[in-house]
Amino acid sequence: MKRSRVFNEVLLAVENISLSFGGVKALSDISFDIAKGEIRAIIGPNGAGKSSMLNCINGFYHPQQGAITYKGVRRSQMRPHEAAEQGIARTFQNIALFRGMSTLDNIMTGRNLRMKTGLFWQALHIGPAAREEIEHRQAVEKIIDFLEIQHIRKVPVGQLPYGLQKRVELGRALAAQPELLLLDEPMAGMNIEEKQDMCRFVLDVNDEFGTTICLIEHDMGVVMDISDRVVVLDYGKKIGDGVPDEIKGNQAVIDAYLGVSH
Amino acid sequence: MLYREAGQFKTTYGADQQIFPILQDRLFVLAVILAAFLVVPLFASQYLYTEILIPFLILSLAAIGLNILVGYCGQVSLGTGGFMAVGAYAAYNLWLRVPELNNLVVVFLFGGLMSAAVGILFGLPSLRIKGFYLAVATLASQFFLDWLFARVKWLTNYTPSGSVAVGETSAFGWKIDTPAERYLFILAFVVVATLVAKNLVRGHIGRSWMAIRDMDIAAEIIGFQPLRTKLSAFAVSSFFIGIAGAMWGFLRLGSWEPLAFDINRSFQILFMVIIGGLGSLLGSFLGAAFIVLTPIVLNQMPGWLGVKLSTAMISHLEFMVFGAMIVFFLIVEPHGLARLWSIAKEKLRLWPFPH
Amino acid sequence: MLGPFLETLIGGLLTGVLYSLVALGFVLIFKASGVFNFAQGAMVLFAALTLARLTGEIDGREVHLANFVVAAAILGTALAFIAWYAWREFVARGGGPAEGQRMAILAAVGALIGGAVAWFYGKGAWPLWVALPATAAIMGVLAYAIERLVLRHLVNQEGIILFMATLGIAYFLDGFGQTLWGSDIYKINLGLPKDPIFLFENVFPGGLLVEPGDLVAALIAGLLVVVLAIFFQKTRIGRALRAVADDHAAAQSVGIPLNTIWLIVWTVSGFVALAAGVIWGAKLGVQFSISLIALKALPVLILGGFTSVPGAIVGGLIIGAGEKLSEVFLAPILVKQFDLAGGGIENWFAYMLALIFLLFRPQGLFGERIIERV
Repeated sequence: MKRSRVFNEVLLAVENISLSFGGVKALSDISFDIAKGEIRAIIGPNGAGKSSMLNCINGFYHPQQGAITYKGVRRSQMRPHEAAEQGIARTFQNIALFRGMSTLDNIMTGRNLRMKTGLFWQALHIGPAAREEIEHRQAVEKIIDFLEIQHIRKVPVGQLPYGLQKRVELGRALAAQPELLLLDEPMAGMNIEEKQDMCRFVLDVNDEFGTTICLIEHDMGVVMDISDRVVVLDYGKKIGDGVPDEIKGNQAVIDAYLGVSH
Repeated sequence: MLYREAGQFKTTYGADQQIFPILQDRLFVLAVILAAFLVVPLFASQYLYTEILIPFLILSLAAIGLNILVGYCGQVSLGTGGFMAVGAYAAYNLWLRVPELNNLVVVFLFGGLMSAAVGILFGLPSLRIKGFYLAVATLASQFFLDWLFARVKWLTNYTPSGSVAVGETSAFGWKIDTPAERYLFILAFVVVATLVAKNLVRGHIGRSWMAIRDMDIAAEIIGFQPLRTKLSAFAVSSFFIGIAGAMWGFLRLGSWEPLAFDINRSFQILFMVIIGGLGSLLGSFLGAAFIVLTPIVLNQMPGWLGVKLSTAMISHLEFMVFGAMIVFFLIVEPHGLARLWSIAKEKLRLWPFPH
Repeated sequence: MLGPFLETLIGGLLTGVLYSLVALGFVLIFKASGVFNFAQGAMVLFAALTLARLTGEIDGREVHLANFVVAAAILGTALAFIAWYAWREFVARGGGPAEGQRMAILAAVGALIGGAVAWFYGKGAWPLWVALPATAAIMGVLAYAIERLVLRHLVNQEGIILFMATLGIAYFLDGFGQTLWGSDIYKINLGLPKDPIFLFENVFPGGLLVEPGDLVAALIAGLLVVVLAIFFQKTRIGRALRAVADDHAAAQSVGIPLNTIWLIVWTVSGFVALAAGVIWGAKLGVQFSISLIALKALPVLILGGFTSVPGAIVGGLIIGAGEKLSEVFLAPILVKQFDLAGGGIENWFAYMLALIFLLFRPQGLFGERIIERV
């Protein structure tokens, strides 16, 4: 299935981002954009700075130079929860679920920004608090159905196998109904079947909810199949940007992956 | 055979989200509460009230408070005694200086609120520091508060000895004097407080605490504000602890000095939470029962065995038993007595066909 | 003004060295095993009590005889338990020579302690040169027991669980030490000079008063700190310790035996506790309150960072000096200003100092900056 879709509106633009830790340069002078509605992939060898890039986008790292324009607002610094409030959700390379809580509760935490009742009503658990809880439970149950994880609803996530944990984590991100969804290696360590499931979920999310997706992935087959455009990083520098077919033919990208000396 | 949930289908999310989704659990808890209110007063002796039931209930409340902070929000505090003292002295000063408000409910709630305020203040460092550093920082609050109540004369109404005493107390015109009256009043308070605590931990506020506990960075990234979440845990926790402190002063001791709320009190409550079970309200009760009953048993035991031990010896043994129990529980069952209880329940559900 | 100030400062610094010593015990264990050992204070008390009772005169034998019976029963059970446990593992492993040696050592030390305790109860006071090694041996066995019975079962648990376990150990040791040795106030006599010395008599009127005991104690403590720093930085074991501190799994994979390293660390920190116990005991007398000294060392740790040996030293000096200066100069002002019932602010001043410091530099004086990752 090759898709060629056209996107006009830019949702997020990264402009000349540089980030370093002490003397180590993690990112240098990176620019690219993410169009509204597309699936954008970031690829590159290990240590290329992919996760650092996502961390910059959702405000966990603060780049020393450059700025990020999101929904037309230019900013250089942002706290992570502010990014979440503006509709950026993400998953993590090393699963970052709340291990002591059940699947249901984990996904419910994704709704936290929409739950407003204060301490008083919460303490009594009647009226608005109870209504709110049930209302959001309904929304969460839809996600649980969508991801086909009804049977593990009340199981503590710490007891789940890896593949299911990844799915729950996606569910938690989806519960926030994000405009921009960042996925950090959603298919790492999965077998073929699980990967196919995950691909289906990613495509469905993009189709059904119109969510813009930016993902990091190592499986080139998957990346070339599902993404609209790809940006390639190597040693913190951008070495390629374009539709999958262009990237496949890009000499710099091929060198980076085959390991030509720098 | 009686303990089965088969056939109890949940048709609404509301029904699925009850505190006790299983019918037998609901009946059991109801029976326990009714017995505590109606049956216990029929036979309880003065000793049972003042030495066992009243301390058990008050310390359970304090343990619930600490469990919210440590077990649910993952912020270790060694300052429980100090917050209890804030509750006790705030309540005392309101009772003393505003006689029109001589209503124990109002007085205790005031103690809780003041303690919550102080809790927020000493919770502020939790944004910058974590884990052991925070645990040590809470010791600062303990020592500072100890000192404050020992040295600032206004707080103890300029009594020369530094110890304060409360006289007659009442709530809504009901005089609370005899051990039975005190017990019933505390019981009512603790039942309501437990319900409130349960509601908080099962709602979105409770989830925010647990999210911070389990993985604070991820929690922040999905939108929880760390400071607000942590401070709300400090506030709610200190509120309960403050009320417990006020009760301890007013209804258990009657007259007290700051030593009643020193660092050993902090450790005592922390032990209840560990032995009972981190992140479990039931565990708070079980832990409190264990800590209250152990010294009593230890005191009686030599008598039963016909051995004579000095009181110093018994207190040393108490230390050893507590220490050994803490280590034992952490190794064998880090989730404490509450976990053992739920395992037993799980077994019962399957009994007599475990396969 | 300068005279009293300097006098207080010197007194504070000398006390600070002792804080450093206790803090060092914490740092050692934290570095090598990630355990925040709250039992350090209890170990200090235990060591001091043991030494005091081994060297001291026996008084009120009847009272202590009952204690002795109970204590001997507990000690016997504990030793039997350890022996049984070691035996089980010995059999399970097919009995390698290393394990055999270790068991032999254990049995020898156990017998030594058993004999020593019995002899002590029969004979009375020991000279210091016998009592000191005996106490050191007992601290070694204690370290072994803690590693064997507690820590080994909590490998890979979260730090906070380990911390609470050491809280349990602290309680147990407080009770155990006093059961074994009684809870009276004992004296340790190191034969230090008692008369105060006056320094710089020509500069300040009356000179600066310095307690010689403090001076000697500070010297001993300082020497120990230096020895430990060298041990950590220069020796092969020290290098292994640092490797374990950095990454348990990685250290194990290059063949560093984790359990042995932990045993060494706990033993060394037991010796440090002994040194601290001896010095404090000589200064203040051996009593229960000595175990609270751990609480004094905690602000030092916050200030210096949990993993830094120089941090513990500098932090101890700052806390010691700050505490004394605040008590002498700040407390009277507070008392006057707020009409307080006495000063005593040294109990919390160190904590507040450390706390405020922490808000600006969460990793401590010498700690490394933490980069958070997801």
